[in-house]
Amino acid sequence: MGIIATSRLKSPWIMHFDNSSCNGCDIEVLACLTPLYDVERFGIVNMGNPKHTDVLVVTGPVNRRTARVLKNLYEQIPGPKMVIAVGTCGISGGVFHNCYNVLGGVDQVVPVDVYVPGCAARPEAIIDGVVLALQKLAKLQGVAL
Amino acid sequence: MNAWIIAIVTVIVAPFIGGLLAGIDRRITARLQGRFGPPILQPFYDFFKLLGKTRIAASRLQFIWIYGYLVFMVTALLFLVLKLDLLLLVFVIGFAGVSFALGGFSSKSPYSHIGANRELMQMLAYEPVLLLFALGVFAQNGSFLISEIFNNPTPLLARLWPIFIALLVVLTIKLRKSPFDLATSHHGHQELIKGIMTEYSGPYYALIQLTEWYEYVLLLGLVFIFWANPWWAGLIVAAIAYILELFIDNITARMTVGWAVKFVWSVGLVLCVLNLIYFWLLPIKGVS
Amino acid sequence: MDYNWMMAVAILLPVVAAILVYILRQYHVRGFIVVVTAIALIINSILFLLKGAQTFTPANAQLWDTVVTVLDYLILLFYIYAGISLKNWLVLIFALTQIVPLAYFEFGMGGKAALEAINPTFVVDHLAIVMTLVISIVGSLICIWAIRYMYDHEHHNKIEKSRQPRFFFWLVLFLGAMNGLVFANNLIYLYFFWEVTTLVCFQLIAHDLNKEAVDNAARALWMNSIGGTGLILAMIYLFVKVGPDSLSVAKIISGGIAPALLLLPVALLCFTGMIKAAQMPFQTWLLGAMVAPTPVSALLHSSTMVKAGVYLVVRLAPAFAGTKLGIMVALVGAFTFMAASGLAISQTTGKRVLAYSTIANLGLIIACAGINTPLSISAAILLIIFHAVSKGLMFLCAGTIEHIVWSREIDDMEGLAAKAPMTTTIFTIGVLSMFLPPFGMLLAKWMALEASFTIPLAGILFVIASAATLVFWAKWLGRLLQVLPKLGSKIESLSLSYTVPLWVLVLSIFGLGLGVGPVYEGLVKNAVANVIASGQALTTSATGIVVNGVSAVSSNPSFAVGSYPVWPLFAVFAIGILIPFIFVAIKPGELRPVYLCGEQVEGTDSDEWYSTADAKTKVQLGGFYFKGALGEAALNPWTYTLSIALLVIMFGVVFLAIGGAI
Repeated sequence: MGIIATSRLKSPWIMHFDNSSCNGCDIEVLACLTPLYDVERFGIVNMGNPKHTDVLVVTGPVNRRTARVLKNLYEQIPGPKMVIAVGTCGISGGVFHNCYNVLGGVDQVVPVDVYVPGCAARPEAIIDGVVLALQKLAKLQGVAL
Repeated sequence: MNAWIIAIVTVIVAPFIGGLLAGIDRRITARLQGRFGPPILQPFYDFFKLLGKTRIAASRLQFIWIYGYLVFMVTALLFLVLKLDLLLLVFVIGFAGVSFALGGFSSKSPYSHIGANRELMQMLAYEPVLLLFALGVFAQNGSFLISEIFNNPTPLLARLWPIFIALLVVLTIKLRKSPFDLATSHHGHQELIKGIMTEYSGPYYALIQLTEWYEYVLLLGLVFIFWANPWWAGLIVAAIAYILELFIDNITARMTVGWAVKFVWSVGLVLCVLNLIYFWLLPIKGVS
Repeated sequence: MDYNWMMAVAILLPVVAAILVYILRQYHVRGFIVVVTAIALIINSILFLLKGAQTFTPANAQLWDTVVTVLDYLILLFYIYAGISLKNWLVLIFALTQIVPLAYFEFGMGGKAALEAINPTFVVDHLAIVMTLVISIVGSLICIWAIRYMYDHEHHNKIEKSRQPRFFFWLVLFLGAMNGLVFANNLIYLYFFWEVTTLVCFQLIAHDLNKEAVDNAARALWMNSIGGTGLILAMIYLFVKVGPDSLSVAKIISGGIAPALLLLPVALLCFTGMIKAAQMPFQTWLLGAMVAPTPVSALLHSSTMVKAGVYLVVRLAPAFAGTKLGIMVALVGAFTFMAASGLAISQTTGKRVLAYSTIANLGLIIACAGINTPLSISAAILLIIFHAVSKGLMFLCAGTIEHIVWSREIDDMEGLAAKAPMTTTIFTIGVLSMFLPPFGMLLAKWMALEASFTIPLAGILFVIASAATLVFWAKWLGRLLQVLPKLGSKIESLSLSYTVPLWVLVLSIFGLGLGVGPVYEGLVKNAVANVIASGQALTTSATGIVVNGVSAVSSNPSFAVGSYPVWPLFAVFAIGILIPFIFVAIKPGELRPVYLCGEQVEGTDSDEWYSTADAKTKVQLGGFYFKGALGEAALNPWTYTLSIALLVIMFGVVFLAIGGAI
């Protein structure tokens, strides 16, 4: 199991889902994937498919419609899985938190492992959040990161 | 006994070579794009991580076809290293490909459906070229057996170079590189999600990766036999072909299925036919 | 057993059984008679195999000659009547082009005396034994399957006055006619049995008596009548130019006649065979025949009647060996193989896909006959055997599926793996056996490709066709496998009349495939020797087949050209497909919904999603048919032009050769 545990830390595939974000955080997430920040050197690949994902990166506040979608996607991800909520909207609803259709942050629907604050969250912070998620996973598995 | 040893060694060693080739692919691609890229061992990390995922399924049938895909791909590779019939090898590769496509069909998923149909059209594009490749080898050697390629002091590349160029086009398709990455693509997830591989995850996705590693070794092996004597020349040809594929991948965009079939048939088929016409105009020995 | 009795069982027993089936109109009695006849025919054909090559002339030859003559003219007069009553002038014209020359030849030119002097009437060599085994075994299984099929067919269409007696009369009679055809040596007997099969084809296609059926039956009739005319003209030419004793198949292929004299009659006979085998440009009659009930399509239009056409071409191969006519025959066949395979991709009806596939494979057999090397003739005969079994199974599956979903469209068969797992499994084996290793069809196709470089253009056409076949088969099979994430589908219950023939054919596919070595050594090798004398193409070993020949490279002069390890490949198939099929299991908790961008309605096996305004919409998958590029409207102008051109060149080459220019 050691090799599998180590490999999980070296190959976190992400899926990026936008609840109803203003796209500010989304652009920053995409920036991480560009050659400037190059997260692929950590083995991070953006697979658009929940069935191939380890880490679900969610931006934007949850509303009634996207809650259903987010739950459906979360259930299609095979374990072990982590969820990172990016941006203030993802944490608590942000500036939209008392709109009539907004339920709040991502943790209203799915269990969140790491919160990355910011509006928009910076790519360095997002990468930091991914590293935190991996550290959490490492501790859960009893392996060193 | 010798054949069994070769077979077992191949089955064990080939995935390592294939995985390293995949890793080198990602590294060089990254450097061409001005970034660092993952370590060369990355595909192995991916593989073991996938093995550790919980198993989920969209149907029972999917898994059956993936086993078929793996087993037939390994068989094709064994045909190559045991130097058996080249024409039959092409048909065995065909079974592997059809098995994979049927796996894609095995669930009522729109993306998988598109991917599987495109996979079949890709096969329509490259299958004639592969079969004419086998006929071309027969034209030069009077035999379909791969052992005869090794026995022939004249390399295939000398008189089959048009077929070699056609085979490079086929290699682009089989390695799923642009412009032919239509059924499933590393970069196509906004169009296709993962195409034919959408409904696979975890251990079975790992099996598909494993099969692809065997396929890399098989395909580069088919390139290698164009200069089988001496063997190091074949390795150089294979290496150059692989690097060429990476370059082509990075400078082209994904095209459409119709374009792919038309392009491969107009360029690849015509080259093969011209090559065969050349041989038809020469007298051949040893045809029964 | 006395040879007289064997011949009677093969040709006359089906006639007696047909009459009984027509008179005794009860369902179970009919089933019993059909099953008994089937068993008798199967045992009889095995006896033919054990007896070996024989010739046979019936005891009261005069009586039988008179019977044949009278029935010939009755059939032709019926065609004239059919043409007039259907107001179909083509049927009438091509009936007249048969009856007038035939009557003049037999009575005006002294042909009748010459025909009566031909001895022996029937020649049963190994090629004929192969054909009678195929006809008796596959044909009988189809007749057994038809028992329940026709009952369900009439039930579903709410037909009050049952027409099954009439249907089975023609169906069973047909088996006797086919046996007679493959044994016939005397050309007038060949012509007679040929016309009986055309007549049966007409009657059975028209069975449902709606306008579409009758129109298609008439088209089949006039096209095959052109073939009949060709046969009569060939007879007249042989009588006039060669001599009265040349009206025998054995004499034509014996090598005793100057090749230049044989070119035109053999070309005409090949032309007749090509029309019967629905080669281009005559393919529309076979496609139209698909409107008939499925037993007709299975028996006549894939396993048996159309094989008569290729049988004739393969039989005549010695007569056109080494000539340019042979090359043209190969090209006509290869072109049909390629064009039909391409057209099959665009078909949305299952039976039309099967029809195009049949036409394509018949083209391949004819092309192998044209290539005319020991290897290609071996391929042709193996193709005849394996295609009859596999395609027969495919048609029976298509018919069974039709009676489960009550539709012939491929898109209506989506997800059948959940509704009808047993039929889908049988269908899967049928499809895989048509074009993939290790099965016999692929072995024969591989052999054909290995032989193809003799006529390289044929090889190139083969190759394009091979690529097309895998597309349409995998595409169709895939549609059946598209199931929702749900477990626990029950195995459907079907009548024994359906399941027994299906499973027997499945087991035959595996048995013949595994045992292809003994099949070759025991039967096919001798059949090949009937057609082409030189050399042995193959060596069979414990595990597989090796193609003999001299490689240009090795210093060892008997080094092989190709090898096919049969048993290892079956082992690979078992490991890769059969064992996972048996052992792979999924727990219900592992099922997840398919990916629909998260818009799925709740439930793992839900096939609905929330569309605009949250409206629940069903997921719809449509098949890919590429009608714009590969549809009949797109390709037919090309296929008609090129195929007619090839036929014109074929006859042109013959006339030039006769004129001495070549």
